[in-house]
Amino acid sequence: MSKRVRLLTVLVLIIIGGFFVWPTVNWYFLLSPQEQELARLSRTQVREYAQDQARTTLLELRELSTESPQSELPEEYRFLIDTARENYRLEERDLPSTWVVRDVLAGFRSEREAFEAIESHHRDRIQQLQSIRDRIIQLGLDLSGGVNVVLEADRASLAERLGEDPTQEQMDEAVSLALEILSNRIDRFGITEPQIRRMDQARISIEIPGDDDRERVDSFLMGRGSLNFHIVDDEATAELAQLQQQQPGWSPEVDGVPDFVPAGSRIAEYVTRDQYGIDQFVRYIVIREDVSEHGLPGQHITEAQVGRDPLTNRPLVNFVLDGEGTRRFSVLTRDNVGSSMAIVMDDRVRAYATIQEEIPTGQVRISGFDQDQAQNIARVLRTAALPIDLNVLNQQTVGAQLGAETIQAGLRAIALGFALVMIFMVIYYKGAGIIADLVLTLNLFFIVSILSVFNLTLTLTSIAGVILTVGMAVDANVIIFERIKEEYRLGKSPQAAVRAGFDKAFWTVMDANITTFIAAVFLSQLGSGPIQGFAVTLSVGIVSSMFTALFVSRLVFDFSTEVLRRSKLSIAWGL
Amino acid sequence: MRKVIEFTRIRFFMIAVSVIVIIAGLTSTVLQQGFNLGIDFQAGSSQRVEISAPATVEQVRAALEGLPGILVQTVGGEEQQQFSIRVRDTGAIEDFSSVMPDRVISQLEAQFGSGTVEELESAYVGPRFAGDLAGQAAMLTSLALALILMYLWFRFRLGYAVAAIATLVHDVLFMLGFIGALQLEVSTATIAAVLTIVGYSLNDTIVIFDRIRENETLLRDAPFSTIINTSITQSLSRTLITSATTMLAVLAIFIFATGTIQDFALNLMVGIVVGTYSSIFIASPTLLGWHRRQRARSKKKQMEKYGRAAAAEPAKRPESAAADVPAPAAAAVSGEPQPVTVPDAETVKRELAQRKQQSAGKNVPRSKRKKKK
Repeated sequence: MSKRVRLLTVLVLIIIGGFFVWPTVNWYFLLSPQEQELARLSRTQVREYAQDQARTTLLELRELSTESPQSELPEEYRFLIDTARENYRLEERDLPSTWVVRDVLAGFRSEREAFEAIESHHRDRIQQLQSIRDRIIQLGLDLSGGVNVVLEADRASLAERLGEDPTQEQMDEAVSLALEILSNRIDRFGITEPQIRRMDQARISIEIPGDDDRERVDSFLMGRGSLNFHIVDDEATAELAQLQQQQPGWSPEVDGVPDFVPAGSRIAEYVTRDQYGIDQFVRYIVIREDVSEHGLPGQHITEAQVGRDPLTNRPLVNFVLDGEGTRRFSVLTRDNVGSSMAIVMDDRVRAYATIQEEIPTGQVRISGFDQDQAQNIARVLRTAALPIDLNVLNQQTVGAQLGAETIQAGLRAIALGFALVMIFMVIYYKGAGIIADLVLTLNLFFIVSILSVFNLTLTLTSIAGVILTVGMAVDANVIIFERIKEEYRLGKSPQAAVRAGFDKAFWTVMDANITTFIAAVFLSQLGSGPIQGFAVTLSVGIVSSMFTALFVSRLVFDFSTEVLRRSKLSIAWGL
Repeated sequence: MRKVIEFTRIRFFMIAVSVIVIIAGLTSTVLQQGFNLGIDFQAGSSQRVEISAPATVEQVRAALEGLPGILVQTVGGEEQQQFSIRVRDTGAIEDFSSVMPDRVISQLEAQFGSGTVEELESAYVGPRFAGDLAGQAAMLTSLALALILMYLWFRFRLGYAVAAIATLVHDVLFMLGFIGALQLEVSTATIAAVLTIVGYSLNDTIVIFDRIRENETLLRDAPFSTIINTSITQSLSRTLITSATTMLAVLAIFIFATGTIQDFALNLMVGIVVGTYSSIFIASPTLLGWHRRQRARSKKKQMEKYGRAAAAEPAKRPESAAADVPAPAAAAVSGEPQPVTVPDAETVKRELAQRKQQSAGKNVPRSKRKKKK
């Protein structure tokens, strides 16, 4: 590879790394506390906030336009000009030279339209902030606390599953199993470092780093049993639709179940997700209750993958059924061609569609979910189902486990340790030491950026671990430098010494790192937070340090010996 | 240029020292009722209290100083004045689940005034790691070791692989003995430290082995112990510099940090020393021992096959024959000088390098021509 290609490779990787690190830097160093607060709002709160903002903004603009219609639009509302300009163009009106309040308001056909424009501006901004928050490196429980959730196992649900009242032993077993499944669900990559403990007999305490986010907690608790296919009772649904049209606000809880709903069918809410990701009630429909006769229970689903519709670009879920499920689904669809089938999750209908033909393959493709929901379904299906239902007793934020002073002292010590290593390298290896330091810094940068992709949770120990990995990455440089020195002492030219040094050190570095990498990969399979997290960090560190030491530092050396034609190597004292 | 240091001469002594230290460490651990398990591994009490007097989380921590494995966190917002307090059950206190919560409350009331502390909730919580963590870890570790063994077997030879694994086991046992004997608290950070050291030591060992393998072809006629000593000497500067830099980083953390992170650094410091020591004094001697046993076995096979005729063969190479006879352990420990007829490694290398340059002579002008373009 020519030097130019190598340089380009390194630059491209740095840019990609920067892209991944950027949200973290942006979040912790650039965003104001107010903006961080906004990103923490729940979906319902976001809706309230955006609509509230829209209301006050509109009120203010209206006042302004009656008082002084010719005054210039205040700075904070300038985002409205874009939409207004668009509307002017559509109506082929002349654009005003300066956008005064009246002109802007005239750009909207109705107040409703202006309201929606302002609302969507605020919504987009918060959703953007939230998407930044989802891509940052989290601080662990020891550094910044998190959410504490206390769960209680539902004895009745186990009794239902077993068909008899569970013994103490069965209850115990179910809770232990639930504990294990929960920790796997929460810690898929082993870098969230949750703390999950059993409390007393039937309660479980979970502590997760990050914000108090109801939806996130719910996604861990969802069980497989809550997703079923039901056949829709089309006749009753049509009648019910009429009823709902005649009586807006009709609800089965208030008005009772009407007579036309036959026995064996029940009324269910059909909901969709609005732009805030909140379940939005659409209407009631009637579904056949008996899943085994007129439907398919969720446990026949073996796999669920999230895809996108190539035409509409909306999220799709591809379900794969097991053998029994395939057979039953085939019969079900054959017998019900022309009727509708509903996907019922957590007792709410998420989607329903007409069955066009028999589906004999066991591959079902369904749209009607948003991305989040689709991911949740897929995740829950991939991990095992909970053996017992868990109810949230209590959910609260908790503060950092370590005192502020301890954290400060720890961070300072870690930074100092890193600095000492860098200083030592320059003193011992002179010019080459500067290359080593450059490469080490780059290594740290790559490690952090790869770990951001994994949404790493940073604890004080893992920070020390990362620094230590970087410190050990010095080793690859030391091996290479010592080799170059040996070759240089034999009287070779700088260029030849560098080449021979790198060539001879190459397999030493590879062998040493590959063996460690094997150990790390195996440890990452261990089902427990900190060990897994550490193993992931270590593997990432190994890959990154091999790349920086063998590839990047070679490039810098080649640059100095071949392009700058340095006649002497600055690699040791007295050489 | 540099004198070859006879590392293998004191190998039996060093192995004996290691075995004694490991046994002492593990025995002391057992005598002290095993490891001092931290709150991550042990059950304890968990309380939530509300303090009506103004209190910060630091003050609460200070008030409870001295209780085992204490963990204090704020609950909800600052203004709520609610705290979650966890205390570890060391097994030393009888009837822990009823005694400890009362003690926590009384200590808090002593600090903030009686009647100010309200207990909202109290429970006995299990350890963070329930279930079969140890079993799972053991299985994965043995799988990992098997794979490492295979990789090294493939890249080096079986003897190297066995020696590397033996070193790894040595390091882990040593660390466990140290942690147990000093009753350092075993937390998740401890596990991280031991794992780091495993990686570090493996790295260290392989680098030396790589040099040994290289020197096996360069110093073909020298006895194996010489090859080992030459290799260790040649890579000594690298070993020391790497240890020094890593130690520098960890030392800074040890001196200036507090609490768990300080323990973490202490474990690492011990581990770095052990890892460096073992790659020199444990890995290579094991390799040497394996090598000699293999030699002796293949010789025995040859003897059986060809009778006495083959037995005379080693006489043609008196140098290596002398080293092939295992030296009695006592002689090695007492340091009785063995007759060493070692060719100076540097001279051999220089000669080889020159020969290589000569043979590669054709390439030199070409590359020069290229450079001038």
